[in-house]
This record gives sequence, structure tokens and C-alpha cells, in this order.
Amino acid sequence: MKIAVLGVGTTKFGELWDVSPRTLFREAVNEALEDAHLKIKDIDALYVGNMLSGILGGQENLGALFAEELGFSLPAFKIEGACASGGLAVHNAINSVLSGTYKRVLVVGIEKMTDHNPSEIAQALMAGGHEEERAAGVTFPGLYAILARAHIERYKTQERELAAVSVKNHYHASFNPRAQFQFEISPDQVHQSPPVAEPLRLLDCSPISDGAAAIIISNIKNIKRRKPVYITASSVATDSLGLAGRKDLTSLAAAVEAGKKAYQMAGISPADVDVAEVHDCFSIAEIIACEDLGFFGKGKAASEIARGETRLGMGRPVVNPSGGLKACGHPVGATGVKQIAEIVTQLRGEAGKRQVKGAKIGLTHNIGGSGAVAVVHILESLK
Amino acid sequence: MISPVKVWRHQKEIASYLGKEGRIISWALIRVPPGGYEQEAPYPVVLVELSDKKRIVAQLVDWTKENLWVGQKVKVVYRRIRKPDSEGVIPYGIKLKPT
Repeated sequence: MKIAVLGVGTTKFGELWDVSPRTLFREAVNEALEDAHLKIKDIDALYVGNMLSGILGGQENLGALFAEELGFSLPAFKIEGACASGGLAVHNAINSVLSGTYKRVLVVGIEKMTDHNPSEIAQALMAGGHEEERAAGVTFPGLYAILARAHIERYKTQERELAAVSVKNHYHASFNPRAQFQFEISPDQVHQSPPVAEPLRLLDCSPISDGAAAIIISNIKNIKRRKPVYITASSVATDSLGLAGRKDLTSLAAAVEAGKKAYQMAGISPADVDVAEVHDCFSIAEIIACEDLGFFGKGKAASEIARGETRLGMGRPVVNPSGGLKACGHPVGATGVKQIAEIVTQLRGEAGKRQVKGAKIGLTHNIGGSGAVAVVHILESLK
Repeated sequence: MISPVKVWRHQKEIASYLGKEGRIISWALIRVPPGGYEQEAPYPVVLVELSDKKRIVAQLVDWTKENLWVGQKVKVVYRRIRKPDSEGVIPYGIKLKPT
């Protein structure tokens, strides 16, 4: 498989109270079109990744809404898979290109969350969980706390190792002008932050964010670009909706499966990956992701991350150079598309101060629910 | 509004769990609850394997800190699930109690 990424664009991520969803969408799309040297008339179809517009904003029919915003009546679709909506939109767009139905496709991930209060948002996000979990009054931090507890029990994972994930991702975000939190935090700040769902504290959790990201993909080689980036694998796997259906609580089986399929499709191994954007909705999630993707052995990722093995300028692969969901922000539908945009920027060598030197192969890992959906993409800057 | 039909439909399933025993596999202590669950917070939510090997996620009630460990024995009990809204039915369902 070889799909060219012609252009990428993102908005700033954060609490963007003065910006409407339509404006967010336009900003990301305009940047991607400019980057690709294309006009909107050159686009054959639009895929939108979004989770919460219906439940929070009372607005559905996003395909037509955003096609209207483009001023162009092209085929348009909304794809939903909780926090993996963006990654799933990319996957579906790729399939539409591979099938030959469309030549150039625009994918936009978008979410507007900060118009609503945290309790409403926590409840809305749980729409991506199991009905039994909603009845139990568990939140997403709670579900990941259950996974963290199981990891701590089996592998003696330390709370200071969980904190190291957030510290690293804030360090990376300090170099990202689009990140929600462009500042560093200390391990003590993590330990002293209030508990949300023990063992997870406030600074173990990704924030509530607004933001959008756009990419344009094609089956045609873009000769205008000096250093093209290609998507060489796109895979999706699912698992039980709730945690009660899982065999193992220290790993997300869907992520393991999607990762294996993606490595096979691209013909690479985990050791070939230079840079990865993984779904660190909570600190424990990045530890599990690094194990599920084979970057480190089972039960080994926490100590390797704490030693700086995934930190910019220190080890390999560099994980979450954008700052990840934790510090770049997590507008849920946007995340999976933003991950692709970040890896493309890295593989072009255009990431500025957060550039991973010599990065040639990148990976994205986007999770929906507490591991019910996993989407893995592999990107390469081929000669 | 909490749908009375939905509550009624779940009653048969709920009845099949009552009185079953199991052990805690993992747990979390919820400090920031979703809307409707403020009254109980903070509360533990536990993942339990019942004696018939079926696993469920539910809230722990009548608990102390000493009950929060992997392996703690629990029993399924019938309790009010959340604060009802002004016009709907009072939703009852499954919770777990340390034994």
C-alpha cells in the first residue's frame, strides 16, 4: 500500500472560546490546501472524524455541514469511533482512494469541547463505553485507572513512572507552538496534583480541548513536493466495548492486533520506527501503548520511558514529539488526524525545535473507548 | 429523562446476578463523578470475576479502605443506581458489597 499525503494542517489546540467549529474547520482545511498547493475544487470527497457534536452540541449531519462550509457539494461523510474517530476517518478515506472511487480526499478531525462543563463532557465521553460501565458511574479516567491498577499489580509499575510520561510530553509540547500546554511540569507537580480516579491524578490525564486537523491524501505521486511522505499501512482492530470483556487488563488486544497487521503491511518491525504519536489519553495508556506496539517488552516500558528512552534527543523511538494528548491537547475527533499531521511534519524534517533528527519511519496509534477500537498507521519518507 | 421502559427491560437481567459472589480483579477510586453520581463520590468502581467466571464492572458500596485490594470477596446487591430526575422512575440495579 502506498498513499501520498499531499498536505497537512492543524489549528491551535486548547480552550478556544472565541472560535466556532466552522472556523476551526476552515483554518485546518485552508492550511492543508495551501500546504498541498491545491484548491478545494481539486478535492473529490470529505471524511470528517468527530465524536461529540451530536451529544454535546445537538448537531449531526456533519458531512453536509462542512461541505457547505467549503462551498462545494462534494461527497462527505462523518465517521465516529469514540476517541479513534479521527484515525477511523483516515482509514476510511484511504480505502476510498484504494478502491479507485476518489482520487484526492480531504480528511478533517474536529472537536469542540470547551463550550460545555466537565461533568457534561465526562458523561458524553462515556457514550463510548459499555452500558454496564455507565450504570456503575465510572468515568474514562476511572476505566484507565482500572487498567493502571492491573499494570501496577502485575509489573510493579511505579507512580513516579506514570508521572514521567506526563513530564516528557509537557517537555515536548514546550517546543510546539500549536500545543495546549507549552510549558514543562515537574514530577512533584504530578504527584501533588489532585487525584481524579486513583491511581491517576489530574496531571496523568489529557485535557478537555478544542481543535481541528486536516490532511489531504491521494493515490497520485505529488511531484510538486520535494520530500513526499507516504502512508504505507493502515489497520483497524476492535475488542469488547467494556473492560469486563477483556482477557488481559495490562494490554489492549485491539492495539496489539492493529499494530501487528500494520507492521506486516508495511514490511517493517517495531525497531524500525523512528518516531511515534501514540494515544496517551492517560499516562498509563502511553506505557501500555509502547508495550502493545513492541517498542519495549511487556512490563518494561514504564522504566524505559522514565529513563528517557522515548524523549526527544535521548532515545528511539521518540514518542509523542507533539506533546501527545496530554500536553498538545485532546479534541477527541481531531486527535487521530493530528497524529498523522505531526508524523508527516516530522518525516519532512519541518518540525523545528521538536524535530526528531533523521526520522524516516513514523507510526500513529489512536484508541477509541478503553481499547474497544484501535487504529494504527505507518508513514514513511521514501526516496 | 431516564426511560422507564429501559429500566423495566433490564430488571430480568439484573435479577439473574443478585446474590452472586466473586473477587475483585482491579479497581479505581472515582473522585470526579459523572452527572447524577455526585452523592456517592468518592466511590470505588471494581472489576469483579464472579464464581461462574463472568466478569462485571460495578460500584462498591458499604466499603472501607481495607476492602480495596485485588482478591477482596464481594457479593452482588440491589441498590439505587443514580439520582433520579424529577419526572422519571428511580433506577435500581447492581452494586457490589464486600463480604
